[in-house]
Amino acid sequence: MASQEQLSAIKRAKVLMVGAGGIGCELLKTLALSGFQDIHIDIEHCSSVEAIVELVIDMDTIEVSNLNRQFLFRQSHVGQSKAKVARDAVLRFRPNISITPYHANVKESSFNVDFFKEFDVVLNGLDNLDARRHVNRLCLAADIPLVESGTTGFLGQVTVHLKGKTECYECQPKPVPKTYPVCTITSTPSKFVHCIVWAKDLLFAKLFGDKNQENDLNVRSSDTANSSEHSEDVFECRKDEDIERYGRRIYDHVFGHNIEVALSNEETWKNRNKPRPIYSKDVLPEEQTKENGNEEKGCAADDVSAMVSLSLKNPQDIWSLVENSRVFLEALSLFFLKREKDIGNLTFDKDDQLAVEFVTAAANIRASSFGIPLHSLFEAKGIAGNIVHAVATTNAIIAGLIVIEAIKVLQKDNNNYRMTYCLEHPSRKLLLMPVEPYEPNRSCYVCSETPLLLEVNTQRSKLWDFVEKIIKAKLGMNFPLIMQGASILYEVGEDLEEDMVAIYAANLEKALSELPSPVTSGSVLTVEDLQQEFSCSINIKHREEFDEEKEPDGMLLSGWVEAPVDKDNNKPIGNDESTSNDLPSVETLEGEKDDEIQETSEVVETFAGKKRKLSEVSEVTAPDPSGPSSINQNKPKKLDIDDEDDELIISDDWESLTKKKKL
Amino acid sequence: MAEPKTKYDRQLRIWGEQGQAALEKASICLLNCGPTGSETLKNLVLGGVGSITIVDGSKVEFGDLGNNFMVDDSSLGQSKAKCVCSFLQELNDAVKAKFIEEYPEALIDTNPSFFSQFTLVVATQLVEESMVKLDRICRQENVMLIFARSYGLTGLVRISVKEHTVIESKPDHFLDDLRLNNPWPELRGFAEAIDLNVQDPVAHKHIPYVVILVKMADEWKTSHGGTLPSTREQKREFKELLKARMAAMDEDNYKEAIDASFKLFAPQGISSDLQQIINDSCAEVGSSSSDFWVMVAALKEFIANEGGGEVPLEGSIPDMTSSTEHYVNLQKIYQAKSEADYLVLEERVRNILKKIGRDPHSIPKATIKSFSKNARKLKVCRYRSIEDEYNNPSPAELQKYLTDEDYSIAVGFYILLRAVDRYAANFNHFPGQFDGGLDEDISRLKTTAVSLLNDLGCSGLTLTEDLINEMCRFGAAELHAVAAIIGGIASQEVIKLITKQFVPMTGTFAFNAIDHKSQLLNLC
Repeated sequence: MASQEQLSAIKRAKVLMVGAGGIGCELLKTLALSGFQDIHIDIEHCSSVEAIVELVIDMDTIEVSNLNRQFLFRQSHVGQSKAKVARDAVLRFRPNISITPYHANVKESSFNVDFFKEFDVVLNGLDNLDARRHVNRLCLAADIPLVESGTTGFLGQVTVHLKGKTECYECQPKPVPKTYPVCTITSTPSKFVHCIVWAKDLLFAKLFGDKNQENDLNVRSSDTANSSEHSEDVFECRKDEDIERYGRRIYDHVFGHNIEVALSNEETWKNRNKPRPIYSKDVLPEEQTKENGNEEKGCAADDVSAMVSLSLKNPQDIWSLVENSRVFLEALSLFFLKREKDIGNLTFDKDDQLAVEFVTAAANIRASSFGIPLHSLFEAKGIAGNIVHAVATTNAIIAGLIVIEAIKVLQKDNNNYRMTYCLEHPSRKLLLMPVEPYEPNRSCYVCSETPLLLEVNTQRSKLWDFVEKIIKAKLGMNFPLIMQGASILYEVGEDLEEDMVAIYAANLEKALSELPSPVTSGSVLTVEDLQQEFSCSINIKHREEFDEEKEPDGMLLSGWVEAPVDKDNNKPIGNDESTSNDLPSVETLEGEKDDEIQETSEVVETFAGKKRKLSEVSEVTAPDPSGPSSINQNKPKKLDIDDEDDELIISDDWESLTKKKKL
Repeated sequence: MAEPKTKYDRQLRIWGEQGQAALEKASICLLNCGPTGSETLKNLVLGGVGSITIVDGSKVEFGDLGNNFMVDDSSLGQSKAKCVCSFLQELNDAVKAKFIEEYPEALIDTNPSFFSQFTLVVATQLVEESMVKLDRICRQENVMLIFARSYGLTGLVRISVKEHTVIESKPDHFLDDLRLNNPWPELRGFAEAIDLNVQDPVAHKHIPYVVILVKMADEWKTSHGGTLPSTREQKREFKELLKARMAAMDEDNYKEAIDASFKLFAPQGISSDLQQIINDSCAEVGSSSSDFWVMVAALKEFIANEGGGEVPLEGSIPDMTSSTEHYVNLQKIYQAKSEADYLVLEERVRNILKKIGRDPHSIPKATIKSFSKNARKLKVCRYRSIEDEYNNPSPAELQKYLTDEDYSIAVGFYILLRAVDRYAANFNHFPGQFDGGLDEDISRLKTTAVSLLNDLGCSGLTLTEDLINEMCRFGAAELHAVAAIIGGIASQEVIKLITKQFVPMTGTFAFNAIDHKSQLLNLC
């Protein structure tokens, strides 16, 4: 039974909600309604939360594809701030709650540790790994409890994180989006996803993105081609050049010329099927496009679509090479004619119809060049946008669970916290699977002080590589400060002196061993993020050679585990890191591919002809520990959970979790 | 692009266009629109069901404002069904929404044929007597039915349909259908044409593992009297053999072969689940058999004849290290076999239809194709009627649950939810519903529970005091957080039933919000 004291603590509770998407909408509503029970407030576990001050942070605006689940939003809200619309919608129904919306990125510096300290609990309904890690660190620094959540399709999870009592969000390694070896993308694609990555990260970025970004689009060709002098301006639209002509020039360059250049390197193709160069005139004789050229349809710049102007209706159809080529040219010229102001600062966005059309078409043309099966726009969009299935039902369940956990947190009901997994198929009679929270991982670099180890070629790798590829990409810091002993090697911040900025900029270009305070084997670096109030130590170990395919960063960070090997089968598999793993697996999100995921208890039970306990099951399926664990390597072993383009996790290892912690 | 497709983009990726079309055709009836009912329906309206009809006779009272998001101050005194209906209509204008201001209990008694117009009825917060009557009506009219109830910190969801058959069960994990232990001639031929001892290291490391395993299995058989590795020791030995054939340590294709070798050791033939389906008496088809069972009958023939003990091949292969050429060829071989198997199955389906006097083309090609590809994953779910569950309880099952630590709370709530209905029938209120007299309510509920346990044939067993106290303290309140969870689960099951994809729960789902435990009780 909750004491009066506990109850009043709940009534005064200040709650910070981060994210107002699928989970956020449900959560805001459920929170608002959990404060107004006019009945039996004395019931343990369901006390009323009368005066919640909710703070909602969300940087997103509302998209049409949100409307199937984010029920606080209507068609007329498309384009508006999620945080504000959500607040207004809830206040319309519950006028006496205080809700403060922030239409902002939670990583902004104003949301610092002092800001977090004002709250009693933080509730996450986020859609990306980066922001989740950031909030985790701030909660640790401010010592505020965090209730974390995610959903994908019919799956979901809720976890509770309390500094020092339960594991932090980063105690369990998170899988990082798959990366592919550069040469697979630039020269030797063998799967459709490689073509998508090429179209999206190289071609699209080159044509429409920041011109100053490094881009590997021409790397391979300039390696082998004798003339590289004009390769840079090839992608610029020349003065007085007709847009149609420009499109065809780009087409011929990337699908024709570049392939020919690649073909000239015979060694590459000794054991591979040679790609076929494709030129626009062979696919689309000039007159043909002229007829269909981009007619003025008078549509708004925001929803220009090559599909519309070419009368292609069904996004689930697979277009022919001719259709793809038309879409390619049409989308390209629409960008120049209708959205010229965007060019130069576009990044691929799965909700940008024209961008999706362009990437689909480009990927398909490249795929036909390499004899890879073509895909529909719908499928391509799923792969390119890393789209996670999302449906209202799961969000509703998860939001309800979050509120129940939040109430326990406010009541300091420490022994009853649960991590709950919501499963698609009730398994062993469970649909929701509660697990007692784990203790903090003593070697977690975030919530303990265990140092990391970085193997790096200190003479070759620059400080820039270290900052971008390790500090930012792997450790998720935004405003790093790097020190060796007492000397500062690098720092980011608004109030730095100009001369310091110049020194740090110069340092970035230097190899580690050539820095003013040289970093060599045995050096210990301290890396801090002032905003996150988070720091960790990295021990440096010099290593001469790295495998270009498996370790494309030219560095290997350990002590920081990502996409781990199944813990129950303590079998190390080489020193694979999933990001640099050259396995042919593709983390597709298509439902059918699930079939490839092997071994379930169901299958096992069938094999055995009778039900077995979990421990026996692993015996049966895994006569050798390398069996399941290494096969797991071939598939997304952790489910990506989140509301939208997420990278978060539900452990699909939940079976082994139950084994350990079954309640 | 058409607007609705964009709106539903994220869910189309779960259940596809066919699933969405089924939802858009469905007409759903909701009984009682308290928080549990409103939340269930909200999730379905967002997903785009065809039409909804809300049946509720009550007016919005002050207490509703605290737990139902779909009513506000301005709704006080108005029909609850009307207010909830207009809120839901705002969420999605593609849905046809209407309401009937009438108490469901009355409708069940006076106008049973009302329910025949619906695809599915969601019955929330009904008491035992009405559940039994409604169930009888829906079974007779072939309308799917799902019960959902939130009660304090507990809740219950129970599906009731005579039979629900699933072709696209979409299991999370399933062994892929490679037939490594039973290769057909084309696969064997393809493997034989590839030399495992090829000198070129690049070629060597791009031989797909399927080929490696098929060939190595043959090699093993030759030296082991035609059998595959079966003991632990032999399996280990086989993997050693694979390892020995690696030309270099970094050959991913061999690593994959070692990891995938369990696929080779898997037994041939069909699973016991599938065996049970083809042995089902429904597989003896007649003119009134459903399409599903006609196809099962054809499948049974296929397995016994052309299949040689196996179902039609699924036809897809997983990613693997391979040259693009080998991979594409391998894909073609699997697809060709799958297509050939499907054609044979289709022929058999057509013949059976003819035999039972139906139009041989009354089952579309696409349906047979999907059946053929999913043959290993077929599911049949059957549910007892509520009346049968209540009148013919299984004391042994109940006793087992009551004495099992994992289940005792769930089954305790199940029994108490029935006990409170009896209580309410006797005393005209739920225990703890009104202030004061809690102690008396507790002792009355205890007495009611004891007599119910007696009726259930579990006279020796008791429920804990704590549980009974807790139940009384709930006072029949519908808490929003619990209603949101129960509503979420109920709507999820509705989607599975309507899309005929995924496997719906086959028991009574009992949720307990105290520790987030939920159990499926196998009572129906």
